[in-house]
Amino acid sequence: MNALGAIFYREYKIRTTNLVWLFFDLLVPMLYLLVFGLGFTRALGGSFTVDGRVVSYNEFFLAGVLAMASFGVAMNASWGWFMDRDSGVFDEMLTYPITRRQHLAGKVLFSLLLSVVEAVLVVVGAALLLDVTILWDGWPLVLLWTVVGTAGWFFLFSVVSIRVRRNDVYQTTINVFYFVLLFASNVFYPLEPMPGWLKGVAYANPITWQSDLLRSATVGFSSGLNLWLEAGLYLLFTVGAFALAAQALQKHE
Amino acid sequence: MTGIESNAAIEITNLRKVYRPRSASPVVALDDFSLEVVRGEILGLLGPNGAGKSTLIKILSTLAQPTAGQAFVEGANVVEQPLQVRQSIAVVLQRAATDVYLSVWENLVSYGLFRGLSLQESRAKTQETIEMFGLESQIHEKCQDLSGGYQRRVQVAKTFLTSTPILFLDEATTGMDPVIRRRVLDLIRRQAREGRTVFVATQILSEAEELCDRIAIINEGRLRALGDLHSLKATVREVYEATVTFEKITPELIDFLRSRNPLNLEQRANTVFLRIQASETEVLRLLSEAISRWPAVHVELSGASLEDVFVSMLEESPDRTERGAPA
Repeated sequence: MNALGAIFYREYKIRTTNLVWLFFDLLVPMLYLLVFGLGFTRALGGSFTVDGRVVSYNEFFLAGVLAMASFGVAMNASWGWFMDRDSGVFDEMLTYPITRRQHLAGKVLFSLLLSVVEAVLVVVGAALLLDVTILWDGWPLVLLWTVVGTAGWFFLFSVVSIRVRRNDVYQTTINVFYFVLLFASNVFYPLEPMPGWLKGVAYANPITWQSDLLRSATVGFSSGLNLWLEAGLYLLFTVGAFALAAQALQKHE
Repeated sequence: MTGIESNAAIEITNLRKVYRPRSASPVVALDDFSLEVVRGEILGLLGPNGAGKSTLIKILSTLAQPTAGQAFVEGANVVEQPLQVRQSIAVVLQRAATDVYLSVWENLVSYGLFRGLSLQESRAKTQETIEMFGLESQIHEKCQDLSGGYQRRVQVAKTFLTSTPILFLDEATTGMDPVIRRRVLDLIRRQAREGRTVFVATQILSEAEELCDRIAIINEGRLRALGDLHSLKATVREVYEATVTFEKITPELIDFLRSRNPLNLEQRANTVFLRIQASETEVLRLLSEAISRWPAVHVELSGASLEDVFVSMLEESPDRTERGAPA
């Protein structure tokens, strides 16, 4: 079997022997949409205006959940490096007849597979359970930005998990990422009402770009920023994160 | 030197490795280290903690890069051709390494896939290896539920799943019970007879003594001695160990033995353990005289042990504790 097949077999076995992990990866985003989305829809009285268009909170939040799901899958997958190091397998695997880039590619491809399944569950669930009107012909773009998004976040978090040796430092760093990136973005709320300084942070935040791209592909509206610019920046972010992760893995001794 | 035309499985030339920790001064882990390991040989690498054994294995298995010097494994340069090197090696690192959430079976099958076997081949080889290592009862147990010794057994078993030309073992038998340890040593010997080159880093001197064709002693990152057991023992001349059980031990007997300035003298019940530096003739004369005056029921006399060689090599490095290398 080739390196990729071997990595997939191992990742699949690890995920299926740890159902909690699988549950978090696949179902939590859907639950987020159901519980959080419903709660906010009630609290906001049904609808509000984004980029001059009246939308329901569920319509708005769907893309945020997809972006969050990418973020979560990437975070869990990067945590896998830590587990591998704790169990001693990380170093041993670097002596197997595969390159370090293949190692990185195998792990990210498995995460992409998970994030695609997750995205399908979330979008179909939103349409069936929450009556969100989906632009079904936007599927290719939804999958593209899910895949690019998950890869970008995975590479970025991998840099942290490969470089940081202490579990508590890793957890703190990731929690800071989680808090700052998710809340200083358009995942949960639109950008317009934000104070100027926070809006500035949100504009520079890759998760804002990803949410906009996903929002445009699923429900046909965004924050009003230039989508081509956001797409370009997001691709650049992913490529840059890959380069950093590959370098971190290459330098690991 | 590339090793392609020679019979060397491993060629190491003037290897140097310096670690530069952020919060401490640089540590020289390997210093001008050269060594050649012949195909099918079992080479033992002995050294105290921090001597550079694990660093050497990490460099040879492409986990770490040397600061200077060259190393070839099966003719492939460890820096320039790491993938080719990895194709010809299997490694048991010093740290335990098993996928703790996977069962013994899944650990081995997964390893086989990484080594390029098909799923079917990997399953068949896993079955064989599990029997070879006596792991039948643990086959479906997750590694996290196994004791340290069993986890180590799984780790070693993985490297027997495929027959790569070279096997690196870093303290591989740590934590194993004596029965399985013996079985593993037998398996290693069998593999070497079939042409596999085995590179063993260990601190268990008896293991090196009974297993290895040649022994290299490393300290402070430098090669201190290299040779087969007999030639190494010959370097520590005129050290003998005598075990004598007397009918009765008296203070006069002890005084008599002490007067010969032994390196070590211990007494347990009626038995005296004596380590003495003298010529063979002098030692025999001493024992004859003692026995003629204090009747003995049992006498054993042996030359220097590997431990004597090891200690003697380390004693030649008085600043040993001031330097060291990360394992």
